[in-house]
Amino acid sequence: MISQRSPAPLLLFALLLPVLLGAQAEAPPRPSSVTLEGQEIAAQVVVGPAGPLVALAPVAEALGAKLVPGEGGSYQLQVGEAQVVLAAGSPVVTVGSDIVSLSQPVTPGPGGILVPVDLLRKTFGDLSGYTFDWLPEQSRLAISRRQAKQVPVFIDVVHLQGTTTVVLQFPEAPRYKIDQQPGRIEVRMLGDRLAPSLPPRIEDPLVEGVDATPDRVALRLLRGATAESYTLENPFRIVFDVHRPGQTTAPIAGAPTPGVDRPGIRTIVIDPGHGGVETGAIGPSGVREKDLTLLLAQALASRLAERLGVRTLLTRSGDAVLGLDARAAIANQNKADLFVSIHLNSSLGAGAHGAETYFLANRATDPRAASAAEAENATPGGLATDADPAALQDLQLMLWDLAQSRYLAQSQQLANLIQGELNQALELKDRGVKQAPFRVLMGAAMPAVLVELGFISNPDEEKKLQEAPYRARLVESLIAAITRYKEQVEGRPETPAASAPAAGAPALQTVPPAAGSPPAAGAPPAAAPAPQAPGKPGR
Amino acid sequence: MNRTAVKVILAAVALVLVGGIAWLVATRGTRGGLGGVIEQLTGAPAGTEKVMVLLYFAGPGGYLVPERRELNVTADPKDRIRKIVGAVLDGPRQRDLGRSFPKGVELGSVLLAANGTVYVDLRSETMTEPPSAGSLEEMQRVFSVVDSITGNVEQAQRVALLWNGIQRESFGGHLDASRPFVADRSLIAQ
Repeated sequence: MISQRSPAPLLLFALLLPVLLGAQAEAPPRPSSVTLEGQEIAAQVVVGPAGPLVALAPVAEALGAKLVPGEGGSYQLQVGEAQVVLAAGSPVVTVGSDIVSLSQPVTPGPGGILVPVDLLRKTFGDLSGYTFDWLPEQSRLAISRRQAKQVPVFIDVVHLQGTTTVVLQFPEAPRYKIDQQPGRIEVRMLGDRLAPSLPPRIEDPLVEGVDATPDRVALRLLRGATAESYTLENPFRIVFDVHRPGQTTAPIAGAPTPGVDRPGIRTIVIDPGHGGVETGAIGPSGVREKDLTLLLAQALASRLAERLGVRTLLTRSGDAVLGLDARAAIANQNKADLFVSIHLNSSLGAGAHGAETYFLANRATDPRAASAAEAENATPGGLATDADPAALQDLQLMLWDLAQSRYLAQSQQLANLIQGELNQALELKDRGVKQAPFRVLMGAAMPAVLVELGFISNPDEEKKLQEAPYRARLVESLIAAITRYKEQVEGRPETPAASAPAAGAPALQTVPPAAGSPPAAGAPPAAAPAPQAPGKPGR
Repeated sequence: MNRTAVKVILAAVALVLVGGIAWLVATRGTRGGLGGVIEQLTGAPAGTEKVMVLLYFAGPGGYLVPERRELNVTADPKDRIRKIVGAVLDGPRQRDLGRSFPKGVELGSVLLAANGTVYVDLRSETMTEPPSAGSLEEMQRVFSVVDSITGNVEQAQRVALLWNGIQRESFGGHLDASRPFVADRSLIAQ
């Protein structure tokens, strides 16, 4: 007799079998760990969906640093020369004077704060030469010392117009820090080893000598000399401009002295502002800044080439997104002699109209930076060794990495000419020549201006800007100004008051800098007409 | 009821009122049910104080125009910064002034570093990047926040602006936002 038993239990068992087998086959979760050169560190690791978070205090201690609680729930960590400030819950930290965005916020844990691995890389990695590799299959964070690599460096020293320029050129940006002592500057490698070229033989009124070892390059300054440093890209260079305080270091506006390798204006890069999804301002009727700047820039480039016989290049020839740094890099790579960025303006409030021309303002204009500048100028050798730490920190901010800083006088001269021509040729409100910390100008290693050719947010100016004849007049004004600048630079016979606005143009408004904004090192000399304070609207 | 009895009752009521007020003042700062009473007495919620601040908004002709505002803040400067930025994002009360940021932009985290740098994270669900704009509009936007903070919070020396938690190349296509901004009073209408 055949039993009539139900097949349901068997079916259920068959369905569950793979699950049961899978559960048996799955290994128990491996505990996460941290190792330094293969030796385990007792540091908690929490692996979340956005990646691992690591207890900072034990890792810092193992790497020779100490995490110190600060005010208001913040923490401080000293890594090399840099102070790192972080706070639980915050996705940003400060490393020295830099802001660093993290992949995950700093998170409180039972044994102290937990941080993402990218924080470790940006601090101990960049500053102390450690590598941090997260190995997900082992659930392990492996820390090791980076293998030092050989970094070639080429050293060049040029003296021109009272300034000695020392250039350290590298095939790629090394990890380094700059130490300043009275009469001496050292560029120290962080982890890497230098393979220096033979330092040049120096007979210089400001620099006694330059010598290099695998660990550092040292500049010995003669008594009374001070130095400002900045970096240039493509290729990476660390540049020191050495001068004596009180000496004129930049050519006087109106009597520019062309650089040794730049006897005239041969190449001009025109930059149509914005592009792609970055539309710029949009007018009341929907006209987009990026479209009009491209039309204006194309017309300017072609007519400049025809009239002046110069090579003109556009940073973009179509409707494409282009980073601000990339625009200046195009000018640098093409050894441009001028950089003109074309923009149209907008305002949140009603009633703004007119044209204005900008050249770069440096950022170290707050009172503490000013006191740091005073300390720098008051100390023999130009080094604020006795200044308080806050002033020293601001002094570091002052040594900004702006390629544009040495061309401010020429940039201002070009801005004056452009604004003068616009005032003369067009019935636009004169909003004046101004300074602002515009990113697109910072990296340009040549005279550079940003021109705002009217307010697209103003219905009347928006309408005019859509008319081709009006745009042609704007372009003609720019050509006239650039032509005059070229003549001044190349030393051709010039009309009287060459550096002043065009004849008949209203005089540029001359006002002192804004309160608390003293001119800092690298600013145009007092002989040049003072610009309006940063961003000051015209009246 | 004779006049003496009325006087006694009035004196008792006065005594109870004075005693009650004295007790409330003595227990000022206590949270809970008394908070509302204390707020009525002092004009500010428990643990806070009313301060007058100047907030900056875009006005006619491209200037920033100050608007006086009373805020309830705690002694923590970070709280003051949060309230100030929140009020700037909420927009002006004067009709002739304009909003600095479009509606929907919200305040994320705020960090006040020991060196006086304030980190302000502005967030928007609809805009992945800061609003693209002309240079004056961008400066009005940035310095409405920067000047409002640095003008009202003594500890704030400079302000770094982040958008959706990330440091940006610029804050609208012009200004360098990789470093903190210092106050720029030149935009403010005189």
